[in-house]
Amino acid sequence: MKILLGTFHKDVDYYIVQEDGVISIEIDPENVYTPNYAFVKSRDLIIGSDDPVRTGEGVFDFRYGPVTSGVGEAGIYHLYTYGERILSVDVDLSYKHRNISKRIIGLDFKSALKMVEKVCGNFTFSHSLAFTRAVESANGINVDSKSEKLRTTALELERIYNHLYVIYQLAQAAAQKVLTSHMSYLFEESLRMNKNFSGSRYLKGFNDIGGIKNFDERRFENLKSDLQRITSEFGELYKGVLESGNFLDRLYSTAVLNSSEAINIGITGPTLRATGIKEDLRLNDPKYKNLKIPTKNEGDSLARMEVRAEEIFESQRVILDQIESSDENNETGYEKGFGYCESPSGTVAYRVDVKDSKISDIYIVTPSFFAFKGIANALRGNIFTDFQFAVESFGMNFADGAL
Amino acid sequence: MIWWPTRGLKRSLTEKTFQPSKEKVRTMKIFKRSMHICTIDVGNSNLLNFEIKALQSAQYNTHRFGIYFSDSPRHADLLIVLGTPTEKMITPLMNTIAQMPEPFGILIVEEDDEMDLDLPNVVGRLKNPEPSDILSTLLKIMERN
Amino acid sequence: MMAYIALGLYFAGIVFAFKKEISYTLSAIGSVFALTEGIIGTFYPFTLGKVEILPKVYMELGMNHTSGVFMTIAAISWIAISIYSIDYGKFYPKDMALWLNLSVFGMMIIFMAKDGLTFITGWEMMTISSYLLILKHKGSFKEAFEFLAFGELSTVSLIVAFASLFLKNGNFSFAQNSGTVIFLIMSTFAFIVKMGIFPFHTWLIGAHAKAPSNVSALLSAPLTLMGVYGIFMALSLMPNLHLYNFEWWGILAIAFGSTSAFWGALHAVAAKQLKTLPAYSTIENNGMILAAIGISISVTSSGDPNLAIMSAFASVTTILIAISHTLSKSLLFLSVGHAKEALDEDNIDDLRGVWSAVGKIPALGILISGLSFSAFPPLVGFVGEWMLLESFFQSYKFSDTLARLVTTFGSVFIALAIGMAAFSMVKLVGYSALGYDHGKKARHIPSTMMRISELFLVILVFGFGIFVTFVLRYLGYSQFTSGLLGVPSPFLMISSVPIFGVVSPAFFAIVTAVLFIFPLAFYLKRRQKVRRVDSWNGGLPIEEGEYFSAPAYSAILEIVLKKVYMTKEKILENKANIDIVDFISVFYDALKYTVLKVEKVLSNVLMNGNVNAYVAYIFAVLVVIFLIVR
Repeated sequence: MKILLGTFHKDVDYYIVQEDGVISIEIDPENVYTPNYAFVKSRDLIIGSDDPVRTGEGVFDFRYGPVTSGVGEAGIYHLYTYGERILSVDVDLSYKHRNISKRIIGLDFKSALKMVEKVCGNFTFSHSLAFTRAVESANGINVDSKSEKLRTTALELERIYNHLYVIYQLAQAAAQKVLTSHMSYLFEESLRMNKNFSGSRYLKGFNDIGGIKNFDERRFENLKSDLQRITSEFGELYKGVLESGNFLDRLYSTAVLNSSEAINIGITGPTLRATGIKEDLRLNDPKYKNLKIPTKNEGDSLARMEVRAEEIFESQRVILDQIESSDENNETGYEKGFGYCESPSGTVAYRVDVKDSKISDIYIVTPSFFAFKGIANALRGNIFTDFQFAVESFGMNFADGAL
Repeated sequence: MIWWPTRGLKRSLTEKTFQPSKEKVRTMKIFKRSMHICTIDVGNSNLLNFEIKALQSAQYNTHRFGIYFSDSPRHADLLIVLGTPTEKMITPLMNTIAQMPEPFGILIVEEDDEMDLDLPNVVGRLKNPEPSDILSTLLKIMERN
Repeated sequence: MMAYIALGLYFAGIVFAFKKEISYTLSAIGSVFALTEGIIGTFYPFTLGKVEILPKVYMELGMNHTSGVFMTIAAISWIAISIYSIDYGKFYPKDMALWLNLSVFGMMIIFMAKDGLTFITGWEMMTISSYLLILKHKGSFKEAFEFLAFGELSTVSLIVAFASLFLKNGNFSFAQNSGTVIFLIMSTFAFIVKMGIFPFHTWLIGAHAKAPSNVSALLSAPLTLMGVYGIFMALSLMPNLHLYNFEWWGILAIAFGSTSAFWGALHAVAAKQLKTLPAYSTIENNGMILAAIGISISVTSSGDPNLAIMSAFASVTTILIAISHTLSKSLLFLSVGHAKEALDEDNIDDLRGVWSAVGKIPALGILISGLSFSAFPPLVGFVGEWMLLESFFQSYKFSDTLARLVTTFGSVFIALAIGMAAFSMVKLVGYSALGYDHGKKARHIPSTMMRISELFLVILVFGFGIFVTFVLRYLGYSQFTSGLLGVPSPFLMISSVPIFGVVSPAFFAIVTAVLFIFPLAFYLKRRQKVRRVDSWNGGLPIEEGEYFSAPAYSAILEIVLKKVYMTKEKILENKANIDIVDFISVFYDALKYTVLKVEKVLSNVLMNGNVNAYVAYIFAVLVVIFLIVR
């Protein structure tokens, strides 16, 4: 099945389509009229549920945001309800809109990379990786295999801390005090591990166009021990999580999104995998060997959490594998000016046009933009107290969605 | 089978040592025993939000200093402004400041961009801080170091 | 003498109906005389006159202690309603004054009736004129007819009851020891239908909600009080209840009463319409009254002399709740009606901001009556509900297992009802009286008399609560007043002798007032420095569509108690709402449907317009008559 992720116009309309772990840019494919075409095309900053219900006796707009701790970011959820039951949702991203894709045009690569890293703080590396790949392919730069190895490691590190964060937030929403404290501990430890490895807690400034230079090999040793400590502790906690009935009850059957709906929206990443679809950009990446992709069929918050938890262990295995592996050159073919990677929450893709070593045009695909549509649809029929579990389990954020 | 209370009691995760802050801040002695903090995201890249979440982690254990995070500016003594305001967030930011009970302070935490808004009662400015920096700055504001 | 003046003034009111103000004023003055008469009757029972119609069949007027007490209570309500109607009646045609006077006239006759015939006369006057009063509101035909149907149902059972009385005694007189079992059963049925006890409450909802507000107050407070008085009257004809082994009557009353209280409170919570909520609250209060009577009768008929004090307490509880209900409900309907008329809205949600849009006195009226129904000390509602719970707490003294079991479950229902009553009143008061202003401008209506009437009742709701011990003494129950621990006698109310539970609303009021002085002084001193900001709503000012709606307030209960409410969450063409059903009305609807169906079938089969068939009927009738006569 093809997932339409973006569309841009250059003489003719181009479509960015993901299928079986590969993203391609197509011209006039048969699926022009996929259900999310209008949504992708307009890129409206107010994302609403399908078939909205906004009127009726006693129906009102429960506005959540822009300054509320439950949302945490500068964005608004308009929850339409007649009390307790969420009838439909409008997500307003415009409060976080920083106009990045306009501001980036005309910048040189270095400053553009800095700007890209500011799109979303917790997906910093995914964005910088997709962007550098795009610029490299546009300029025909080849990256040495050591840099590729470091990039793969960093991407998995980002996945680990983001997934830990999601489970930390879910535990907090369910008022699981002990689990929350321990998850927060692991989250902070994983950020420190990032700093030991890359010099930045959020892997900022680690990546560079053309490859990562000046990396001290000894950092791998620290990374190995840190990583093993964190994942083994998490493994112990996760065993407890799976036995904790009153925690799982809050997640089970909350905000269900089935696979066809998810594909129609354009959702990728763990959210899609939690609906039973085995779709991952890492599948076709030669750097990943014997990658196991965890999937779940339920499509609820619990399934999303389980997928994320299992991905933490898999990422640990991948990183250890990378550390042990010998350097070998792999050809990875990206189309000219196009680069992408699997961020913790789904596909991040960049398409750039280059002119005189400057960015002359850019198109950014972010996973959160689609995840908000998924939330808006999945929340329908749930009640207020499910809200936090639904929202946190998607692992999206306004910064990523609004650009 | 994990019995959560025993697990909670078994390990102490709090870190005892931390660096005193070198930032220049205006101190507010009235909050020495307890300070309630409200944070507002005005358009940062989510990185600062993550740092605030990290500050609430077990390692820092801010509660031992009487530092609590409140959900409403009406219950807060200190407002932490995270990032540089986007166009639409200026009004909510001003509304939030209007809700703060006297006396209050504002701590500006920003990324690379500078904020050029004129806010009242600014007690300090931090740039790309780590949680430990934020904590030590807060303690300095409280005159606890 | 006073009674004749009162009746005469009501009659004059009927005559002067062409001039509305005069008619209502006459009714108000008449009610003052009725009040005086009630007070006199309480202490000095008297008879007025006897008219012999047929041998042994005569009509007699008089007054005794019980009827005096009830007439006093009702007369207060009449006064308030009459004064209120001077202004409110301007929105309605002249004959409203006529029927209002006639209705009150009928009620007064009921109180003064000394025999069945007079009683029924008054009863019918009241029922018919109330029916015509309900009709004064446009589009209320269906509800008015339902009211009439149930009213006549109770009249018919009353007729049966009095017939049994006649069969036993050979006259209709309400003399001591004249009751029979059939009389008690049938009259009780008639009266609980009038009180709107579950499952005979559906008429009350429609009628109260649709009627003009002064009529709603009249229907809800004095009219249902007639039911209570009727039960007292019927029971007074059956002294020495323990000889008849009448415990089952008490147990049934507790069961029906507590169920009714629970059901009324439950549906009051979910009510969306402005006057449906108080209507269900009426059912709840009348259920409480019936339950209290039930306890009193259970105790009396057990014949245990040690429990006499408990019986007395339960019966004074009944009167206190009746007082509380009459005052508070009149106040509630009058103030809600005032606000409703000024803002011209029907739903709780649309009536926001009464305080700022309509005025402080109607808002205060809604607030105080709401607090009274929420059992907020020291208001009269608190006193009534405290006494009811105390009566239930003492049920451990029962020796009978069944009685114990029923009172235990009954008290659970009553406790739930009291809790949910507070919930529903918060909904009503919070949204209408104290809610955010919609910015809607109220119509300018003449309201001086309305305000006077509301204020009068507000003061009484406070007064009867704070000085409840004097009310108890007035009613002749001074054994329940005392002094203890620095509270001087008789400011303390006790629930049994030896002391079981105590409360002193007066001292609560004093202590609260004293404690309130300091914050008030502090506030007044600092008022100049207070910084005013919008309410906090996530950094943006709250907009019209973002107010938490009244149906949403109770939605959680409707969703959780899906089975009880028969909740249906409907989404139709981008519109959504929650529908709830009172399942008793489903039963009545089915009954109505069946009757209509049968009627249709019959009319098709029997009265099909075929001449031959009609000739055949006539012939058949002739044959039957011939056979009988022969």
